[in-house]
Amino acid sequence: MTYSTVRLCSGGGSFEAIPSPKLALDLRRAREALETAGVGVIDARVMLIARLEKEVTLARDGRILIKTTDPVVAERILRDLCSRLSLDYGVAATVPPGAVSSGKR
Amino acid sequence: MKGVMLMSGGIDSPVSLYYLLRQGHEMIGVHMDNRPFTDDSPLEKVVDHLVLLRERFHQPIPLYVLPHGPTQLTLMRSTDRHVGCVMCRRFMWRSAARIGEREGARFLATGEALGQVASQTLANMRSATVAVDLPIVRPLVGLDKQEIERVAKEIGTYGISTRPGVCCQAVPDKPATRSTILQIQAEESPLDVEAIVDDVVRRAVVM
Repeated sequence: MTYSTVRLCSGGGSFEAIPSPKLALDLRRAREALETAGVGVIDARVMLIARLEKEVTLARDGRILIKTTDPVVAERILRDLCSRLSLDYGVAATVPPGAVSSGKR
Repeated sequence: MKGVMLMSGGIDSPVSLYYLLRQGHEMIGVHMDNRPFTDDSPLEKVVDHLVLLRERFHQPIPLYVLPHGPTQLTLMRSTDRHVGCVMCRRFMWRSAARIGEREGARFLATGEALGQVASQTLANMRSATVAVDLPIVRPLVGLDKQEIERVAKEIGTYGISTRPGVCCQAVPDKPATRSTILQIQAEESPLDVEAIVDDVVRRAVVM
């Protein structure tokens, strides 16, 4: 998967990463992978909230919300998260250079 | 009269509170703290709204902050997501009503206006509010968003409300707009409603 769109959420308080193409994220396996790595995770059935450097929400449709308004931090967390998950899933995730923009929807 | 105002940190609730304070009512604020399904910003905004309105009306306006995240988590794990907003609202109303009973309030109030968002259709507002007995006052119900924003700017709360923040992540992709009371009661039936509300109110913090 590729996170080709990373943008500020509608409230302007976090960054939202949208996968392309769309994917169905296996939240159970994502939770296992994160917890195995020592990351605190809240399982809300339809989403996970992971306590990384900042709080991150992972939805079943692959959307990832990162609670920061700093695009550099958002990109760093996204890369870290994708790296953690791809190790367990074999999913390639990339953030194209410059994909993180600060334009509010 | 004494009333309890549900305050979200958004544009509407401080305007609604303003109208009630202007009429001379003695108001108490209740904020349902939705973390981790949002961030710190809603609580910070509510606190700042109240600083402004306390000063303007020379009223103490105590603020009860109630933990809503655990309730939200229970609802997300156990109930149909399509009616998630209505279920969420029912627990907010119940919690606010408990605070109202404790404080001797005669009414509850919100910044709701008819039809602005999914939880504010007539059907959903009815499904949400049958959960409580205290009368509910909606000073903004007949106003449109532009009118509410104009007042918010006049009283100085608009700039606070529109600061960046994380929107509620518990809102489902396709929220139901026409829930029925029977449907909601069926969803709620496996839950120990009283225990949930007891726990929320027990952990209230007054600011």
